[in-house]
Amino acid sequence: MQIHKYDTVIVGAGGAGMRAAIEATKRSRTAVLTKLYPTRSHTGAAQGGMAAALANVEEDNWEWHTFDTVKGGDYLVDQDAAEILAKEAIDSVLDLEKMGLPFNRTPDGTIDQRRFGGHTRNHGEAAVRRSCYAADRTGHMILQTLYQNCVKEGVEFFNEFYVLDLLLTGAPGGRRRSAGVVAYELATGELHIFRAKAVIFASGGNGKFYKVTSNAHTLTGDGQAAAWRRGLPLEDMEFFQFHPTGIWKMGILLTEGARGEGGILRNKDGERFMEKYAPTIKDLAPRDMVSRSIYTEIREGRGCGPDADHVYLDLTHLPPEQLDAKLPDITEFARTYLGIEPYTDPIPIQPTAHYAMGGIPTTVRGEVLADNTEVVEGLYAAGEVACVSVHGANRLGTNSLLDINVFGRRAGIAAAEYASATPDFAELPETPGTFVTETLTRLRDSEGGERVADIRRELQETMDKNAMVFRTEQTLKEALEDIGALRRRYRNVSVQDKGRRFNTDLLEAFELGNLLELAEVLVVSALARKESRGGHYREDYPNRDDVNFMRHTMAYREVDADGNESIRLDYKPVTQTRYQPMERKY
Amino acid sequence: MSSTLTKPGPGPEAAAGTSAAAHKITATFRIRRYDPEVSDKAVWQDFTIEIDPKERVLDALHQIKWDVDGTLTFRRSCAHGICGSDAMRINGRNRLACKTLIKDLSPEKPITVEPIKGMTVLKDLIVDMEPFFQAYRDVMPFLITTGNEPTRERRQSAADRERFDDTTKCILCAACTSSCPVFWNDGQYFGPAAIVNAHRFIFDSRDEGGEQRLEILNDKDGVWRCRTTFNCTDACPRGIEVTKAIQEVKKALITRRF
Amino acid sequence: MSTLITDDTQGFGPDNPAPRIDPPRARTRRSPRATRTNYEMYAWVFMRLSGILLVVLVLGHLLIQLVLDGGVSKVSFAFVAGRWASPFWQVWDLLMLWLAMLHGTTGLRTIINDYAQRDGTRFWLKMLLYTAAAFTIVLGTLVIFTFDPNIR
Repeated sequence: MQIHKYDTVIVGAGGAGMRAAIEATKRSRTAVLTKLYPTRSHTGAAQGGMAAALANVEEDNWEWHTFDTVKGGDYLVDQDAAEILAKEAIDSVLDLEKMGLPFNRTPDGTIDQRRFGGHTRNHGEAAVRRSCYAADRTGHMILQTLYQNCVKEGVEFFNEFYVLDLLLTGAPGGRRRSAGVVAYELATGELHIFRAKAVIFASGGNGKFYKVTSNAHTLTGDGQAAAWRRGLPLEDMEFFQFHPTGIWKMGILLTEGARGEGGILRNKDGERFMEKYAPTIKDLAPRDMVSRSIYTEIREGRGCGPDADHVYLDLTHLPPEQLDAKLPDITEFARTYLGIEPYTDPIPIQPTAHYAMGGIPTTVRGEVLADNTEVVEGLYAAGEVACVSVHGANRLGTNSLLDINVFGRRAGIAAAEYASATPDFAELPETPGTFVTETLTRLRDSEGGERVADIRRELQETMDKNAMVFRTEQTLKEALEDIGALRRRYRNVSVQDKGRRFNTDLLEAFELGNLLELAEVLVVSALARKESRGGHYREDYPNRDDVNFMRHTMAYREVDADGNESIRLDYKPVTQTRYQPMERKY
Repeated sequence: MSSTLTKPGPGPEAAAGTSAAAHKITATFRIRRYDPEVSDKAVWQDFTIEIDPKERVLDALHQIKWDVDGTLTFRRSCAHGICGSDAMRINGRNRLACKTLIKDLSPEKPITVEPIKGMTVLKDLIVDMEPFFQAYRDVMPFLITTGNEPTRERRQSAADRERFDDTTKCILCAACTSSCPVFWNDGQYFGPAAIVNAHRFIFDSRDEGGEQRLEILNDKDGVWRCRTTFNCTDACPRGIEVTKAIQEVKKALITRRF
Repeated sequence: MSTLITDDTQGFGPDNPAPRIDPPRARTRRSPRATRTNYEMYAWVFMRLSGILLVVLVLGHLLIQLVLDGGVSKVSFAFVAGRWASPFWQVWDLLMLWLAMLHGTTGLRTIINDYAQRDGTRFWLKMLLYTAAAFTIVLGTLVIFTFDPNIR
């Protein structure tokens, strides 16, 4: 076991991690740990754009952006955070441009902007052009640009290092400080302890517990699960975003920018059904509303195909030159994976699990909260793994690329400043590698015979069936029961690869453990939220209930004296500044 | 995981080619296996599975790993061709496993899958990417500017932006570099991917480091080693005209205009 | 369950892995070292320009030698002697000799660089090539300039 010492350790090298690394490297000795290579991160899959009220093409200001973010999040957004997000968006975009990001340009050479779901002029009057974009590969360009700047700044990367545990001093409920992380080196199978004054989690989402998902195979919530196991809370986990336009059955994302460019959703009768559900902004309504509308059409028998299980994204009325210039990648996806020519044929789509609004609760400086008010010293989180909460119950499109840049930067600065101001390293626990060693040994040596793939498949099936766009008490209870059974079976899981080098079989088993724990948190949080808000829609409670549920869910893992685990739910008030909750209509 | 899905019967999309009958075919995957903890020799191993031909090669590899042999090791992440993890040599050509559909590979014959060439094989389909990224870092792949930063964005005309659009698409999967016969024998050659990423900045009107990058690529392991075999252009899963980009760098070196 | 079927008995295992085999001449942080010369560019340009010139020179040469004035049967000592009496043909043949040799040498050097894997092999193959080329060029030049038609 090797021990490394750094001022700041960043876990994850996606958008948030690398944005933090660029800041932290300038201010402190920094290491970035990633379980992939930096440019493999799923930030690269983001397509549509990054919102900022630059007002390059039409009148706009950050206050409208704040309002849209709050309203889009169904008022569960912490408004002070949303204000920071919208205000700092402008500089974030300009910073990226200065780092070299090749944005599309207006005729006079400034950054071009386009429409995106839920972004409106003057508090909902009409759609506004706010999304700064680089064709339909904005995320790819952001990821590449950030990596390029990491190369420029000489950021130290540890590639293919899986962070499996977080080391904290103190006990849950008391004063806590981060001491470092435990990482597993894929190439050698060795464990490494990284001692650090400040740790930033930027490890991304956890959507892989759904079957139809736009998430990468590697998005298994490793950061959330590590914090969770150490007794830190997870906030608003019941809010998961389902992106309306995933490729049918595969879940591959087709950007909302397709609708921003004029694409239209149609049912089997060719009807533009979004006119019924959102008369003002139609196809550009927020994602949760569009996803529900699609499933409503499907449930009422107006879906397309022999099983009536999808709808169409119609781009055929757009000129081919526009598709080639603005949406080259998604047209290619349609050709590659469906054999469809988007110039002439509509693309079959269905909602796909896309983004976790919830995660590790943080302050606006990226500090991780141990409860509603106390922070964990020296522990930070940013990006999809964190919940600031700027997305509330539903994230607006283009706000996640913004989130990683604004709060990645903030966390990087805050962590490095904390590390510089802190003279000593926190004491390591006596046997820091115990949990990881024991878990991996158990998984490797187990002869139980349960297979990782089977349990994961069943988890994904029950989550898709019971905890997706529409939820009821009954389906959620069913999911909870299934997850409980799967967790019991997971104890007997065994892997075939007993080797040490590049044992991805073993890591997949570990990741499945994370997914199971997080799926349970999602379902338990969702069961308790007896209302419908944003991405969380309960058919048995179809209305928003501001009296009882205008608050964030805070889930805690409790272990009793006998070692039995349970989930305790608590709640945290929503910060409201300017905007009073109103009915969300578009 | 989708390998277990049964697809519905033909629908209205059948004409457009989306949905096929729920028929699976029997396909054999002949995979190059190497595990230094077992042997110092690489061997071919055949796996015969039932799979829908509309699935990707990556789905087949997953099916093998998850249901047949958990020791099969390969890199993957996004599974739709934007992360660049799963470049491999499939039927003798470099491709991304997640962008190659089985039906396009004449699956009646065994489909061969091996690691990309010219790099150290570490286990099965996993190769050491470090020399590849070293070449990338060596071309200074970042915007170089002088003087004070403007308060707003730097202006760039749509035409200037278009000039280097093709090479911004690179995902660093190494399919091009590991398809290059020059690189196979000489790892010191920068390789197509590094040149593509230099091109992306040399032809960016905002960048002022073009001269330096050209000097780097003018060296003995730079662009002059390109033999224009077009293997790289054929291999690129993003459709970048790699060879053309290399030629443009050569031209810029001779004319000193870019 | 399924492990690789091998018949080796070297006892490789997690603690005793097979040695790593790197490809020849892998790039590292330190190699290759920058040389900062235009040599490769000039070589590349030379190949293109000499190639074009050689097309003219060689085709012209072949035309005269093999086609015009009764074709190959006319070529004799007297014919050669007559041509080399003119400085124009001397320069023509000299140019053809030099360009062809340098073009061929540069081309073979490229092939050696592309295919020879070990540094030592590269060095000696190139030395052999350069020696042969220098020998041929010197000998040829000598013949063109010292050619004496009144041979006894």
